[in-house]
Amino acid sequence: MGQITLSDIQRAYGNVKVLHDINLDIADGEFVVLVGPSGCGKSTLLRLLSGLDKPTAGRIEIDGKDVTQVSAADRGLAMVFQSYALYPHMSVRQNLAFGLENIQMPKAEIAERITEAARMLEITDYLDRRPGQLSGGQKQRVAIGRAVVRNPTAFLLDEPLSNLDAELRISTRAEISALHDRLKTTMIYVTHDQVEAMTLADRIVVMRAGRIEQVGRPLDLYNTPANLFVAGFIGAPRMNLLPVKIAEAGPQSVRVEGAGGLSIMVAADGSALQPGTDATLGIRPHDIRTGTGGDGSFTATVDLMEALGPETVAHATTDDGQKILAVLNGQDTTKAGDGISFAFDAGRTHLFDAEGQRLPPPRT
Amino acid sequence: MSRVAEFLTRRRGGSGWDWTDIFTWVWLIAGIFVMFGPAVWLVLSSFKTPAALAEFPPTVLPMATEQVMVEGYDNPLELYSVSMPDGSEQVLAQVRRVGTIAQMVDPDAPDEIVKVNIAERTPQRRVAFATENYVVPLEQNDFLLYLRNSVFVTVMATIITLLTNSMAAFALSKYRFRGRDGVMLLIVATLMVPLSVILVPLYSVVNAVGLFDSLWGVILPTVATPTGVFLLRQYMLTIPDELLDAARMDHASEWQIYWRIILPLAAPALAVLAIFSIVWRWNDFLWPLVVLSRKELYTLQVGLNTYAGELNVQWHYILAMTVVTMIPVVLVFVFLQRYITAGIAGSGLK
Amino acid sequence: MATRSISSRIGAVLAAPVIWLARLLNLPLKWWQGMTGTGGMAAFFLAPNMAIFGIFVLLPLVINFAYSMTSGQALFLSDRSYVGGEQYARLMDCGNYLDPTTCREDLFWIALRNTALFVVVQVSMMTVVAMITALILNREIRGRGFWRAVFFFPVLLSPVVVGLIWRWILQREGLLNFILYNVGLEPHVWLTDRFYSFVATVGVSVWAHMGFYTLILLAGLQAIPRDLYEAAEMDGTRAGRVFWRITLPLLMPNLLVVIVLALIRAVQIFDEAYVLTGGGPGTSTLYLTQYIYEVGFASLLRNPGLAAAASIIMGLILVVLTLIQLGLGRRNEKAGERK
Ligand SMILES: Nc1ncnc2c1ncn2[C@@H]1O[C@H](COP(=O)(O)OP(=O)(O)OP(=O)(O)O)[C@@H](O)[C@H]1O
Ligand SMILES: [Mg+2]
Repeated sequence: MGQITLSDIQRAYGNVKVLHDINLDIADGEFVVLVGPSGCGKSTLLRLLSGLDKPTAGRIEIDGKDVTQVSAADRGLAMVFQSYALYPHMSVRQNLAFGLENIQMPKAEIAERITEAARMLEITDYLDRRPGQLSGGQKQRVAIGRAVVRNPTAFLLDEPLSNLDAELRISTRAEISALHDRLKTTMIYVTHDQVEAMTLADRIVVMRAGRIEQVGRPLDLYNTPANLFVAGFIGAPRMNLLPVKIAEAGPQSVRVEGAGGLSIMVAADGSALQPGTDATLGIRPHDIRTGTGGDGSFTATVDLMEALGPETVAHATTDDGQKILAVLNGQDTTKAGDGISFAFDAGRTHLFDAEGQRLPPPRT
Repeated sequence: MSRVAEFLTRRRGGSGWDWTDIFTWVWLIAGIFVMFGPAVWLVLSSFKTPAALAEFPPTVLPMATEQVMVEGYDNPLELYSVSMPDGSEQVLAQVRRVGTIAQMVDPDAPDEIVKVNIAERTPQRRVAFATENYVVPLEQNDFLLYLRNSVFVTVMATIITLLTNSMAAFALSKYRFRGRDGVMLLIVATLMVPLSVILVPLYSVVNAVGLFDSLWGVILPTVATPTGVFLLRQYMLTIPDELLDAARMDHASEWQIYWRIILPLAAPALAVLAIFSIVWRWNDFLWPLVVLSRKELYTLQVGLNTYAGELNVQWHYILAMTVVTMIPVVLVFVFLQRYITAGIAGSGLK
Repeated sequence: MATRSISSRIGAVLAAPVIWLARLLNLPLKWWQGMTGTGGMAAFFLAPNMAIFGIFVLLPLVINFAYSMTSGQALFLSDRSYVGGEQYARLMDCGNYLDPTTCREDLFWIALRNTALFVVVQVSMMTVVAMITALILNREIRGRGFWRAVFFFPVLLSPVVVGLIWRWILQREGLLNFILYNVGLEPHVWLTDRFYSFVATVGVSVWAHMGFYTLILLAGLQAIPRDLYEAAEMDGTRAGRVFWRITLPLLMPNLLVVIVLALIRAVQIFDEAYVLTGGGPGTSTLYLTQYIYEVGFASLLRNPGLAAAASIIMGLILVVLTLIQLGLGRRNEKAGERK
């Protein structure tokens, strides 16, 4: 079992609050990814979960038991650290065995578990080496192996891939995913790389400045980001966020207008809005095409066209100086300095109010 | 020969010699004589007999006059080379000396006594090491006792220093608690308090806790070295905290973290401290001099000083014992010099 | 390589009982950790060191002040009678501060004067000799490690050994006189001459410790980037100018450390000088620490209170020197930041 509940968790260092009222339910076997910009409190939250740190307020439950004051060792969790934190003076085998020896596990069982984990992670060949004699990817596997042999109720992983080069990161990512499928143990994974989050997670928790901004399945976050922060954070390249004004607002639809002749009717519940107030219209670069034939369109001046072959990335600026990024299908001959007209569909837009919150769906 | 010259004269840039090169080599060569010379002289002298020690001018190598057993005499006689009146050189054994006249015999014709003016004869000598200078004091109980005391003090003090200092350094580098900075400040502030400043009250404190005139009284005041704590703490700060967190997740108790993780990882710093502690404690003089009063508790340094202060200074024994006292330090120097120089260059430790 | 395996083997032997002890301690300490949390463990780790430190360093430091305000021969503070500043007054009781013979504690003033003289002469000699040696060792000479070892060698010798070696060499029929005799100079009885015995204590302590300061200076020299010298060479700068304009300014932090450390050590001179000359002839090599030692322990008319007062005056001198060092260090840091 590995069901975890966080209620009203707070953490302060002196007078500085770094976590504000975190509430989160994690189901058994779930792969949850915490993402957010640097310094938003991801590691802090993970350390509170692990028991290495204690929250200033709030409750942590594992499988229904309150463990808020239980020490790290007795929570039955295992952690994989960003810098691997392998004991440099011990061989790989001793690294794996250390935690098991500490709970007086019989030698035979320790050996068995190590063999099993080493086989699974393909580190059998270097069991007798020291961490200093391993490559980054091998160290990473050993670090994961050290967690696996513990047979924990949940894995906590703090940016485990951030020290690997790009290629290794992709393959190790796949391995972690496969490991989760095999073990079916709860995993809580911290990263600030949203590609990792999207590919690995059952559910993503987006954090900012010590608060949870949104929790949801990867595609839900992508398709219906709850606010401007999530909209900007999830998805690469970043969503275009155009400042617009509310022209008409009703419970079924809202019409907004912006620079470059932009005017579009979006299906949303705008009954709380006043015409003339500010709003933000979000359009992902992949949802823009050239021409005028969509639900909405606007004009801009091209700054740069990057031809990648199958697609073309257009950097442009609207009349009011707003930078626009569009990923156009195929190849395009427009040159820098030329005018261009962009079109898009209403169904692919995201409308946020002046506070940056997504407008609710149209009332039915 | 020319290759040797080339080797010796090779220098930066390859152009000719200037005065700085000459000065460099003069300084270095003089350095060898001035720095090594005295110690070498000490070792050579320590193998001389009392008679040879009293000689002036002294010989470089320890020499002894050759002796032979001559028929008809109970004791061995000293051999001299004598210039005979007829101008020839002859080797004779001296029976006795009366004023400026020596009575000598030819070892091959022991019956005939030859009278020779002492200016006409020079001793037949060869290199000989007077090892009895070493053997006699080592057989006397005193010196062995001193040796044992010194070893005991050095080993115990070093072990306790390593243990207590590393524990304190661990607490000061890896825990956050109230007053930590205060403790650190206190330790740094006393880095500069030398023994001579607290000599009198320390003596009374040691008396009060009943350690006067005991080896533990020599050991304990020296072990809480601020230098050691400071050095180890600086080193432990470089050990990542994540490693300790990993160990905590691995069910290690704080004590296990200390001795399974911290101690092995701090081994280089511990080694440096151990070397220094050994040299310090072995060489300590003033404090043992103050605290030890029974002769059988003296350390080598105190014992040596006492011997050298006696009215009738027996240099042949003192020199030999000085050499013995020097041996451990010379061994440390030969094998571990690299660590020591690195330690000094890195932290100004002494 | 060989050293490594030897030291690791020694290490293993020494470690065995420690490991055994550590295992034994684990259970009770786990219990203690459970009772008090990690904070309690911090206290546990600090306790032994701080207890020893408190009893044998801090406590004496504090009661030294009390001690210096009492009189009599009794050992324990409680048995001693309070006299206030009398001991200090006694030390300071002088007709003319420049003339020790007019002082009540003339020995103290003689020791103070000797120490001051010793400090000035020894530190300047030490600095110059160490500097020259460091500069030479920093050149590209063959076997630099060997030469460094040559000059470092006496540092590890015990002061008693150093004193005895030189007593042996400087005695009437010693090596030095033999050498002088051979080159046709006049031999002396060095250690019974007021002037020469002072010179001997200075020279011997420079001999014994210069290697240490040379190392510090050498470390500083080696930290000066090579390209600075190469640039100077490209400009055709003369060697002397390179030294004054590049080497010396960049070496200043290390040089200051050397000077202040040497000062602090020189003020405390005792062991070598005591073994070499015993303070004599007369009082010509009587230094402060020996004065404290003799007044406190050795003489028939022991006066621990007076010794404590003298040691506090010595402590004050050291505090001032240390503060100067800290001040200079800070100024250096600031200068470094500005660069
Ligand atoms: N020991 C501490 N004392 C004071 N502040 C701390 C401490 N640890 C973390 N913080 C602060 O808490 C905030 C959250 O830190 P945390 O390490 O959780 O960020 P993070 O989201 O993991 O960032 P990153 O992606 O860079 O790892 C930061 O602002 C940090 O400065
Ligand atoms: Mg982090």
